[in-house]
Amino acid sequence: MSPATAPPTRDGCRVTAGSVAVAVIAVIAWEIASHLSFVIPEPLDTFLALGRDLGDPRFLAGLRETLLAALAAFVLAMLIGGPAGLGLGLSRRARVVFSPIITMLNGIPKIVLYPVLLPVFHLGYGSKIVMGLLFGLFPVLINTAAGVREIPDVYWRLARSLRATRWQTLTRILLPAIRGPLLTGVRLAVSLSLVGVVLSEFFATERGLGRIVLSAYSSGDYAGMVSTILLLIAISFALSLFLWRLERRVR
Amino acid sequence: MNVRAPDTPGARRPSVSRAPRRPWSGLAGAPAAVVLMVLAGVVAEVGAAAAWWAPDVLPAPSDLLPAAARIAGSPRFWQDALRTGAELLLSCVFGVVAGLGLGVAFWKAPGAGRVFEPYLVSFYAVPLVLFYPIAIVLIGINQWSVVVLASIMTAIPMTLNTWTGLRAIPPVYLRLAASIGCSRSQTLFRVALPAAAPYVVAGLRLGVAYALIGTVAMEFTTAQAGLGYQVRYLYESFDAVGMYAYILVIVAVSVLLTAVLEIAERLLPRGRDT
Repeated sequence: MSPATAPPTRDGCRVTAGSVAVAVIAVIAWEIASHLSFVIPEPLDTFLALGRDLGDPRFLAGLRETLLAALAAFVLAMLIGGPAGLGLGLSRRARVVFSPIITMLNGIPKIVLYPVLLPVFHLGYGSKIVMGLLFGLFPVLINTAAGVREIPDVYWRLARSLRATRWQTLTRILLPAIRGPLLTGVRLAVSLSLVGVVLSEFFATERGLGRIVLSAYSSGDYAGMVSTILLLIAISFALSLFLWRLERRVR
Repeated sequence: MNVRAPDTPGARRPSVSRAPRRPWSGLAGAPAAVVLMVLAGVVAEVGAAAAWWAPDVLPAPSDLLPAAARIAGSPRFWQDALRTGAELLLSCVFGVVAGLGLGVAFWKAPGAGRVFEPYLVSFYAVPLVLFYPIAIVLIGINQWSVVVLASIMTAIPMTLNTWTGLRAIPPVYLRLAASIGCSRSQTLFRVALPAAAPYVVAGLRLGVAYALIGTVAMEFTTAQAGLGYQVRYLYESFDAVGMYAYILVIVAVSVLLTAVLEIAERLLPRGRDT
């Protein structure tokens, strides 16, 4: 699953091999543990359960709904958090007024607000997209604002001396200057949007993988439960690993 | 042995690094936050009075506050608060100790650190709550399944920040420690960790925040007790006023905790310098 952005050095390869070895050891430990306790499904059974589920149209519909909701939440988080972070980074006054509120809102366990969202946005896509948005919004907003604030003054003087238009300043100077923090925000927002959506589905929803996990739990289908959780973790892991490597290359 | 910290450019991560700030800057906006909250309360009151929405969607604050006061006096509330508080405290203690240890270990053995780094970065805090259904199968629906996962959630930012902070120490500090014949533990506790303190404290703040978010989220998913569990229970028994009162309490606790940690983070590294 190692993305093509891996550094081609021998040292980098050794580290990647070590990381893969950690995963292999974890699977071996899992295999041994499954023989010690009857509640732990064997790794092979779990992979077979995943194969079985991926042939089930109900599971695929749930997967589709969860991923679409997470994608929508992520896109909204970027569309709202990016410009808001930009405004917050550029204006000192906005920072003074809003940063305590943002810090506070960021610290709230947002999932408890889900019952508040339900009557307003309903059980379908609406509520979980909004919850995913609440999870994903703050890392984008805070990292963008921090990135803009830390731009060296000389960049702004350069823009002025070249008589760059506002648009040129934004696309040629500002965005390249904050690409590192922005990518960090994007990386956190991707996995947090997914987590927000799945946690909402754990609570109450009509369709989605979170619901499938909990119904597998209550019917004692532990192989199906573990495989669905691992599928979700694998998706979030692959995306954030790819973005993390990209982030390191960009710096 | 490790006199020089490896100077990797990827080591600096804005999400974990501490922005240099004056301790009280930003608190000037606190009145704005209060005004906004009061405004939201007024809108909620007027909206409920004018029946813009059904009373179970958002009860009027004038109904909510007495209900919150009543709940705060009930033994059931204190049981739940104590349960959540104990889970939070245990997770923070375990997570901070484990995170500090791992951070130091990765600094001493950078190879091991780099091998585990992709996992730490990808599981950074919140995605771990997805493992909660597995934890309740393994451990049972009790406080320990929450504590185990919340401890890991606390340990990850602690590990990454401690490690980053130790790598950022100017090499001259360690050369000084070596030249005056510091023992290994003296070098670690008297030189290296104090020098990395700003990062460690930032990691502590993140870790405690994630422990709270994770604990409440896991209780909210399934549990037998706890503040998060009560929100779910009252939702399912259609007690909108009680549910909102608990949500209000959770929000108040998290705001308080965030404020305390924020102020502590601004004070501690300063105290070290002077």
